[in-house]
Amino acid sequence: MVKVAVSGINAVDNPGPGLGIIKGLREGETPVSVVGLAYDAMEPGIYLTDLIERAYLLPYPSEGEAPFLNRLLYIKEKEGLEVIIPALDAELPLFIDLEARLSSYGLKTFLPTQKQFKLRAKDHLPEVAEAIGIKTPHTLVLASYEEFMKALSRLKFPIMVKGLFYKAFRAYTQAEAQQYFHAIVAEWGYPVIVQEVVKGEEMNVVGVGDGEGGHFGLVAIKKLWITSLGKIWTGVTVTHSGLLTAAESFVKHFRWRGAFELETIVSGDDIYLIEINPRFPAWIYFAVGVGINLPARLLKAALGGEPERAWDYPAGKLYIRFTDDLVTDLEVFQRMVTRGER
Amino acid sequence: MKLKRLAISEEGFVFDPETGNSYTVNETGLLILKKLREGLSLEEIAEIMNEEYGISREEALRDIQDFLEAMARFGLWEEKYG
Amino acid sequence: MKRPYQKPTILKLQVGFLREKKSSLSRMVRQEIDGVPVAELAEKFGSPLFVFSEKRLREQFRYLKRLFEGHYPRVEFSWSYKTNYLDAICRIFHQEGATAEVVSNFEYEKARRLGVPGDQIVFNGPYKPKEILRQAVLEGARINVDSLDEILDLEEIARETGEKLRIGLRVNMDTGIYPRWDRFGFNLESGEVLNVARRIAAGGRLEVVGLHCHQGTFILEPEAYGRAAEKLVDLSQKLENDFGWTIEYLDLGGGFPSRNRLKGLYLPPEVAVPPLSEYAEKIARALLTRLPAGDYPLLILETGRALVDEAGFLITTVRALKRLPDGRRAYILDAGVNLLFTAFWYHFRVEVEREIPGPPEPCVLYGPLCMNIDVVEESALLPPLARGTRLVLSPVGAYNVTQWMQFITYRPRVVLVTENGNAEVIREAETLEDIVRREKIPEHLK
Repeated sequence: MVKVAVSGINAVDNPGPGLGIIKGLREGETPVSVVGLAYDAMEPGIYLTDLIERAYLLPYPSEGEAPFLNRLLYIKEKEGLEVIIPALDAELPLFIDLEARLSSYGLKTFLPTQKQFKLRAKDHLPEVAEAIGIKTPHTLVLASYEEFMKALSRLKFPIMVKGLFYKAFRAYTQAEAQQYFHAIVAEWGYPVIVQEVVKGEEMNVVGVGDGEGGHFGLVAIKKLWITSLGKIWTGVTVTHSGLLTAAESFVKHFRWRGAFELETIVSGDDIYLIEINPRFPAWIYFAVGVGINLPARLLKAALGGEPERAWDYPAGKLYIRFTDDLVTDLEVFQRMVTRGER
Repeated sequence: MKLKRLAISEEGFVFDPETGNSYTVNETGLLILKKLREGLSLEEIAEIMNEEYGISREEALRDIQDFLEAMARFGLWEEKYG
Repeated sequence: MKRPYQKPTILKLQVGFLREKKSSLSRMVRQEIDGVPVAELAEKFGSPLFVFSEKRLREQFRYLKRLFEGHYPRVEFSWSYKTNYLDAICRIFHQEGATAEVVSNFEYEKARRLGVPGDQIVFNGPYKPKEILRQAVLEGARINVDSLDEILDLEEIARETGEKLRIGLRVNMDTGIYPRWDRFGFNLESGEVLNVARRIAAGGRLEVVGLHCHQGTFILEPEAYGRAAEKLVDLSQKLENDFGWTIEYLDLGGGFPSRNRLKGLYLPPEVAVPPLSEYAEKIARALLTRLPAGDYPLLILETGRALVDEAGFLITTVRALKRLPDGRRAYILDAGVNLLFTAFWYHFRVEVEREIPGPPEPCVLYGPLCMNIDVVEESALLPPLARGTRLVLSPVGAYNVTQWMQFITYRPRVVLVTENGNAEVIREAETLEDIVRREKIPEHLK
């Protein structure tokens, strides 16, 4: 029995990947006992006792490395924790920075390097796309309002207005674009990224790199239906060879280590890179469901084993996300807010 | 009295069945809540805090007032002392 | 034995704020600064009180010097006066071998008064009054020119002295960071630098011997320095080829970060701020791969914040307690934004002088000014504090004791904890006499 901690158990309207990862781990060949890591006592995963044996609150990554590390070591001490699979963008830099120290305490992870993590900044996308032989939408990185206004006169609407790491809006008019520009600057500062909208199929690939240029499997999907927040609700597996080749080049060229997701738009023979996520996506259970159990493979790699590499999956499998209800007592909530654990 | 309706656990978890709001109180807050429910006056509670923790009655009274001020902001206390 | 007392608290539970609270407690206590108890400092010298650690100042300087000298053969550190120009602080850095980097007549005069020879001064800044410029020229300071008008001034001085003057050019450029500081010096990409160079060469009275580039402040992208270094080397080679000048120094300015928490940055400084070794590596790699072997211009660095910020602390005392309409606690401190100018941009580390029992709860730290903007920290997480509790704020060593303002009250003492662990006053607290001394009452108002 391996004790694994998984974060991102906030299965809400903008869900974290935690529950999908956990379902994968539970279906894997290594028996696991799961510790859920949460940042708020209301994260739904805390209340799903069949999936998550124990749950702990973590201090916010913003509070500093020392409290974060102390908390993880406390959980390790109490639970006999062996592996951590972090799943949220905001905490990943901390885990990456702490990787060596966690390992010296016997806590294993399987994460990208700091250099790889930085590739996710949107101003790096053209460089990544070029390295792996695909395209990016016409992209302008803007550092002032004047540059932005100049850019607007040269672009065809609609356009995407994005922050460097977070937020993306689709603007149909100049007024809309200006409004989003100001919203992003106010929240995230400069630069603001402005991108032409490419028409095509929205396709994503998930995979786990081995850190040496190879990988433990890839799965590509097409989003069929997305929510108003842009989150996948239904999808279908695809075996787009150009996309899968690009993903393999990505892993090979950057010697990617750990989980990743590439978001793309496929338009005929052209593939446009939209986003790189240095972690599992929230729909990771889709990969598990079509026989490529990437969470379990990542766990095995973290434990120092040699995971399976076969990744022959069928196209045309359907993914349906649905909502569920749970009724329970205040007791777990009470324990989480008074003790920070259950 | 609003305090009567509250569900208070030994761990300091407080639930208000009327509004659905939850609160946490620390050890001292819990002590004050309990004593108020027993009907003790603020002065009597200050006296107990003095015995229990060795703080002066003045400091205890000042802290009780501040605590009740916070309770009042949450609608759990009405400004009728004593 | 009585049980330890906690002030009573009640917190309303709200989704999104149901966070973990226990892990942060241990790091919030600071009982001493370099072995001197905080209580002793406050009792002896008063509160509020700025405290600098000589040990930290020297150690950080030596660390940076070793770091850069380990990567590049010729490095000069020029102490950025504006960051902290208290005599004692400057003395420490000059003792360690730093030259002086000044940006105004006042700073130039202060450096000279401290005994720094003119040729050990780097003179920057967008406005250098003619008189001080002339003095700097005569005393052999390195002058980095910011505008065409300054070139005219220097040519005039050159005519007076009858000698060809050696100057540096301040250059601004795109190094991939935001915001881009493009109002200082001459722009590279637009070709302005080369136009100005042609103008200088045609004038025949000046000779360019240095290039300077200051990209901004608190730059978190080491690669930007690498790009700046590359561009400066390319530019210097172009100037040498086209005009026959010899570029003797490349000055990469300052802007190196300290481990302070910039507002708007989510991650803690341990993670968000790259180690200074990365900056040294990027700069050195850019220089060494582009420069011909053996022909190494002097690399000047004007590090300010990275040297002094983390050596500075402010001891302040809770003077009053309040309860805000939203139920949060608020504390009135005896130090506000009058002393902590950098509070507008940074979240300081807030430490309590001793362990305080009780759960940390969200609270606001206000200063003593009668102004709404006087907020030292809008959301601290602290256990309930009693009146009279002392807090230690850090890092506050950079820019505060230069940008502080005398508004409605006196500025407090500044002490230095020496390497032997003595606390010595390096700036006395202001008195009424200090402030009114320069005032005059016209006859009819007497």
